[in-house]
Amino acid sequence: MSSALLWIGLPVLLGVALLLYRRQDALPLFVAASVSLLLSWAAWQIPIDVVLQFGPVSLEITPSFLLFGRSFTLSDAQAPLLAFIYLVEAIWILGTKLAKPGPLFIPINLICIGLLVAALAVEPFLYAALLIALAAMLQIPLLAPAGTQGPGVLRFLKFQIFAVPFILFTGWILSGVEASPGNLDLVARAGLLLALGFAFLLALFPFHSWLPMLGMESHPYVVGFLAFFLPSIGLIFGLGFFDRYSWLRDSSQTYLVLLLAGGLTALLGGLWAARERHLGRMLAYATMLCTGLGLQALGLGVHSSQVFFALLLPQALAIWGWAVALSMLYRPEKTGLEIEGLQTQTQSRPLALLVLLVAVFSVAGLPLLGCFPGRVALLDGVAAASPWAAAASLIGSLGLLAGGLRLVHGALASSAAKTSHWVEEVETAPAPGQANDLSDPYMWVFSAVVILSLLGFGLIPRVFLSAVPDLAGMFSQLAP
Amino acid sequence: MESLLSFLLLGLLGANSLALLLSRELRWTLAALGVQYLLAFFLVSATWPLELAAVKLVAGWIATAILGLTLLNLPEFPGESETRFPRSPVFFILVTGVVVVMVIGAAPELVVWSRQFNINQAWGGLFLIGIGVMLAGLGNSVVRNILGLLTLLAGFEIIYAGVETSILVAGLLAILNLGVALIGSYLMQSSTPEPRR
Repeated sequence: MSSALLWIGLPVLLGVALLLYRRQDALPLFVAASVSLLLSWAAWQIPIDVVLQFGPVSLEITPSFLLFGRSFTLSDAQAPLLAFIYLVEAIWILGTKLAKPGPLFIPINLICIGLLVAALAVEPFLYAALLIALAAMLQIPLLAPAGTQGPGVLRFLKFQIFAVPFILFTGWILSGVEASPGNLDLVARAGLLLALGFAFLLALFPFHSWLPMLGMESHPYVVGFLAFFLPSIGLIFGLGFFDRYSWLRDSSQTYLVLLLAGGLTALLGGLWAARERHLGRMLAYATMLCTGLGLQALGLGVHSSQVFFALLLPQALAIWGWAVALSMLYRPEKTGLEIEGLQTQTQSRPLALLVLLVAVFSVAGLPLLGCFPGRVALLDGVAAASPWAAAASLIGSLGLLAGGLRLVHGALASSAAKTSHWVEEVETAPAPGQANDLSDPYMWVFSAVVILSLLGFGLIPRVFLSAVPDLAGMFSQLAP
Repeated sequence: MESLLSFLLLGLLGANSLALLLSRELRWTLAALGVQYLLAFFLVSATWPLELAAVKLVAGWIATAILGLTLLNLPEFPGESETRFPRSPVFFILVTGVVVVMVIGAAPELVVWSRQFNINQAWGGLFLIGIGVMLAGLGNSVVRNILGLLTLLAGFEIIYAGVETSILVAGLLAILNLGVALIGSYLMQSSTPEPRR
């Protein structure tokens, strides 16, 4: 059996099968979560390209799968990343129990994850741009359910399609650069096209506008999934460029550009998050901050892959927690996700609010919380190379921290109002059919997992980030 | 004789793109899109085997058919809302002029630099990319934006055909075209109010 069939074909086929399943019950959730966990476990435990003997039965997972003359290769080096991707996919699937993003979410996201893994496996790896674009397009029915289409969806589609020609064309130019690396004209053109392609793909400033638009128009859980997975896979794709092309690794200007572009994106994302009153848009700006920091990690050179994955692991959990919490607070028919709307939610959704605050402060890089160790390593490296870029990302993080403090103020102000006037007490009573989340055991488990894990990442990073060297080992040229 | 045919092909492509930009009647716009794929097929077949180039033609026509059938089944044709951009024919002719000037400057350079595709492909491809960007950028409705994206992809495919002959890429690009058309169809239907019963 081929690894591509297992980690690409199986989720895609399962997603298609679940699309055809019309009953509104929990079966898709259980099947999809079980398969995702199984695929994660298989990537972690079963070696690729080794014959395993189970009594009379022998099993070998071959690393390559040929399709129309091109190969999809998932070797042992990529196994930790596969384990991570399918573990994160499993928690996003389990989160749908609370977030309720719609019946299409699970099947479409299984297909998307299959396509994104295919993007990491395809050889030549530049074809990944096409697969990422297809995965992005599949998200559109989730982003714009029937009758709720806004301008953000079209802009998202346009920018993702614009990225494809730039990246594919770069692939062709890069073959010329490999043949004659001294041709500076060719290198400059390849660099420019690559920069434009990634700016569209990763929603870097000034091509980020669809992110906050979708943050306001679409279900926060779908936006969270998209805004985490798409840039993360895009950045891993970017790490692949540095791992493969020595001329790119040897260029100090490239690193400086990455540090500054990442710093600008992080700065703007953080500052816009600070002044944002809509929680969905704040999530979008926070993911922009994360993308900027990831880009800076790429600009660190030899340690880039380690720092990148040290940032990515806690961010995956924090963004998931943030998206689930926002989905619990999401009531589009009433107050939407404005900070002012928290006044009606503090009594009915205390656990969701707590998880939201922990996730916001974690993404902001507050000490003792999940993202702090990775953030310190990043700032340490960036400050040595470019103090301006380090200052920009630090200010961006402080901006998100300020946004988090505004959230606390919004929640506390509403609590104070409730205890002082009987009128507000009547207004904040839970809506009919909306139970208090303190009585939901699933919510307790979710809150405990998110909060304890984020504290674990912050307090004992040696344990919680122990997978980072294995993940970084996938990029042999970028690990020290 | 060959150069005359090339000029004729490029002239038709230009006139067709102008029709795509100017036409307010969506039936004619879709007809122009279908003709555009036929002209793109002729340009691609200069470097690709005929059967592989035909994949692009068929995928393009299916995409056109998807959009056409969706428009036919809508309770009312999607209207053009007012935007900050002018909608007059003079404006669109000027826009086409800007694209032509840029293509005239860029295409010969691209051919000299790449040495892998001919001047007709460079002109045709860059022209369609420019028109596609303009359509997607100035479009004020879902259908105009989708037409822009499909035109941009058609232009890119003409140029990319000169440097890449992989069947997998041809297939993925065809799926991308069909995907854009299907998304356009979905968005057109989701933005149209249900007919009153």
